[in-house]
Amino acid sequence: MEIFPALLSVITDPSLLFAIVLAAAVGMVVGATPGLTASAAIAMLLPITFYMSPLFALAFLYVIGKSGRYGGSIAAILFNTPGTAASAATQIDGYPLARAGQAGKAMKVATISSVIGDFMGDILLVVGVGFIAAIALKLGPPETFAIYFAAFVVIGSVIGSSIVKGLASALMGILIAMVGLDPISSEERYTFGSFDLSNGIGLVPLMIGVFVLGEVFAQLETRRKATGETKENESTEDGNSLTWEEYKPCLPHAFRGGFIGAGIGVLPGLGSAIAAFISYGEGKRRAKNPEKWGKGALEGVAAPEAANNAVSGPSMAPLLTLGIPGSTIGAILLGVFLIHGIQVGPTLFLTDKELVYKLFACGMLGIVAYGLIGYFGATQVARIILKIPTNVLYPLIFLTAFVAAYSARGSMFDVTVMTCAGFAGWLMRKYDFNVAAFVISFVLAKGAEETFRQSLLMSDGGALIFVERPIALAFLVIGAGAIAFRVRGIMKERKIAKGALEDA
Amino acid sequence: MRAYAEGLVLALISIVAILGAWQVPAASPGDTWAGIVPFSASIALLFLSGPLLLGAVRQTAGDTGQEQDSGATLQIIGLFVIALIYQQSFRWFGYLLPTAIAAPVVLCFFGVRSWIGLAVSVVLCPLIFHLIFFVLLGVYPPYGEVFDLLSWIQG
Repeated sequence: MEIFPALLSVITDPSLLFAIVLAAAVGMVVGATPGLTASAAIAMLLPITFYMSPLFALAFLYVIGKSGRYGGSIAAILFNTPGTAASAATQIDGYPLARAGQAGKAMKVATISSVIGDFMGDILLVVGVGFIAAIALKLGPPETFAIYFAAFVVIGSVIGSSIVKGLASALMGILIAMVGLDPISSEERYTFGSFDLSNGIGLVPLMIGVFVLGEVFAQLETRRKATGETKENESTEDGNSLTWEEYKPCLPHAFRGGFIGAGIGVLPGLGSAIAAFISYGEGKRRAKNPEKWGKGALEGVAAPEAANNAVSGPSMAPLLTLGIPGSTIGAILLGVFLIHGIQVGPTLFLTDKELVYKLFACGMLGIVAYGLIGYFGATQVARIILKIPTNVLYPLIFLTAFVAAYSARGSMFDVTVMTCAGFAGWLMRKYDFNVAAFVISFVLAKGAEETFRQSLLMSDGGALIFVERPIALAFLVIGAGAIAFRVRGIMKERKIAKGALEDA
Repeated sequence: MRAYAEGLVLALISIVAILGAWQVPAASPGDTWAGIVPFSASIALLFLSGPLLLGAVRQTAGDTGQEQDSGATLQIIGLFVIALIYQQSFRWFGYLLPTAIAAPVVLCFFGVRSWIGLAVSVVLCPLIFHLIFFVLLGVYPPYGEVFDLLSWIQG
C-alpha cells in the first residue's frame, strides 16, 4: 500500500513530473533512433545526475530506460529498423502493417500493449518486491554468493550466441573489477605500481566507454555498410485510427505477453529480447489467425510489445532486493544508487523504503507519459528522427563521452579508462563477445567476492559450505543447469541445421 | 584464423591475469588470500580459451570465416587514435583548445564536408560543452599544463 502515498507525493511535485515527461520523451527518441540505445543515453547522462537529488536522478534515468524500450518499436514499425534487439520481434508484423498504409494503427497497438505490459510488470514488482526483500534478509553470505554465481553463469551463458564467449566476457568483467586495492586486506591487485590503478576502475567511465564510445565506433563501421535512405511509408485514410473492435483480439495477447515479460524480467540477464520473441511465438501458437502472423497481424505487434515492456519493472526486483542487476540499465542504475550513497540490497527496504516506492511511482507515471506521447505523437517522433543528421549526431556523442567521463570525478584517468573501454567495447561487439555480461559482471564482482570470502571465513576455508547449505546448493545447481540447458539447446539447433543441410 | 586469434588473445589475457594475481601477497593468519578471486577467474578464463582454440583447430581449411571490411577497421583505429590524442591533450592544453580541434576532425570522419559547418563546430562545440559542464554543472575544468586557452581568455 506504500505505493499510493508515493504516487500522491510524486504527482504533487511539479519539477519531478516535468523530469518524468522529459525522460519519457528523451527515452522514446533515443530508443527509436537506430544505433542509439537507452543504455547509451543513460550512461551518457549519468554524470549529470550527480548534481541531482537521488530520487530525481533515479526517476529520470529509470523512465528513460522504460520509454527507450518502447521507443524501439517506432523504428521497427516505421523504418523496418529495430531500435532495440527486442523490437525485432515487433518488426515482423509491424513493418508489413506500415507497408500496407497502417503505420499509425500499428503504432497505436504497440503503444497500448506496451502500456499494458509495463503496468503489469510494475504492479507485480510493487506487490512482490517486499516479499523477495524479506526473504533476502534471511540469506547468509554462502546463499548470497550462490545467487551471485548463478547470476554470473546465467548472464554469461544465456545471452549471446556463444556460451564460451559469454562466460569469458563475464570473467573479464570480474578481472577488471579486481583492479585496485583489496577492500578487506588493502593489498594491491593488478595495479602494476600505478597510483591511478590503485583506486580501481570506475563504473561510470567504464559504462560510458563501453556503451557510448563503443557505439560511436560501431556506428562508424555501420555507416560504411549502410545503403540508401530511410523513408517513411505513406498511410491510408483509416490507417492511423484504431477502433476497440480492432484492438479487442489483441488484448489476450497483450496480457499473456505481460505475464511472460514479467516472469522473464525477474531472472537476471535474460532481458526483453528473449521475452518478446517467446511472447511472439506463444501468441502465434495460440492465435486464431496464425496464417496472418508475419504478414501484418495487429496481434503480432501486441504480443511482443507487451512482453518487451513488462520486463522493465520486474528486472528491478533482483537489483533492489539482492543488489544483482538483471540488465545493463539495471547495472547503470546500481551505479546511481552507489554514487548517491544508497546501499542496494535487502536492507534498502529498511533504510530507504520511501525512496524505492517513490521510484516505482515515477516509473508508473513515466508509463502514462510515454503512453500519451506515443499514442498521439509517435509518427511525429518518427519524423523528428528522420531529420536527425547522424553524421553530426555521432561526433557530438563522441565529444560528450569525454566531457561526461571527466565530469564524473574530475579525473583525467577516468577519461583514459573511458577511451580504452570504448575501443575494448567495440572489439567485444565485433568479435561477438558479450558486452552486457562483461558490464553486469563488473558490477557484481565486488559483492560476489565479499560474500565468497565471508563464507570461507565462516567455514575456516572450506568450500563445502556452499554445498552443505540447501539454498546455496539450489542456486549452484540452477547455474549449472542453465549451462546444461543452453548446451542442449545449441546441440539441438546444430542437429536441425545439419538435417536441413543433408535434406538439401 | 579469426578463431585462432580469439583463443590466443584470451589465453594471453588469462596468463597475464594469473601472473598478476600471483603477485598478490599471501594472506595473514585467519584471513583469506586477496588474490583468490582474481586467480580463480583467470584460471577459468584460461580454461575457456581451450574450447576456442579447439574450435579453431576443428574448422575446415576451406572455411575462411567472415569477410572483413579492413577499410572500416582502419577508420575505427584512426578514430581511436584521435580519441587517445584528444584525451591526452586535455592534460597539456585544457579542455577548450583540444575540443576546438577535435570537433571538426571527428565531424570530417563522419562525412561532414561543409566548410561553414566545420568552422562553426570549432567555436560552438567547446563553447556549448564548456557552458553545460563547467559553468552550469560547476565541474572544475581540466587545467592545461603547457597552455590553457581558458586561463588565457580569462586573463
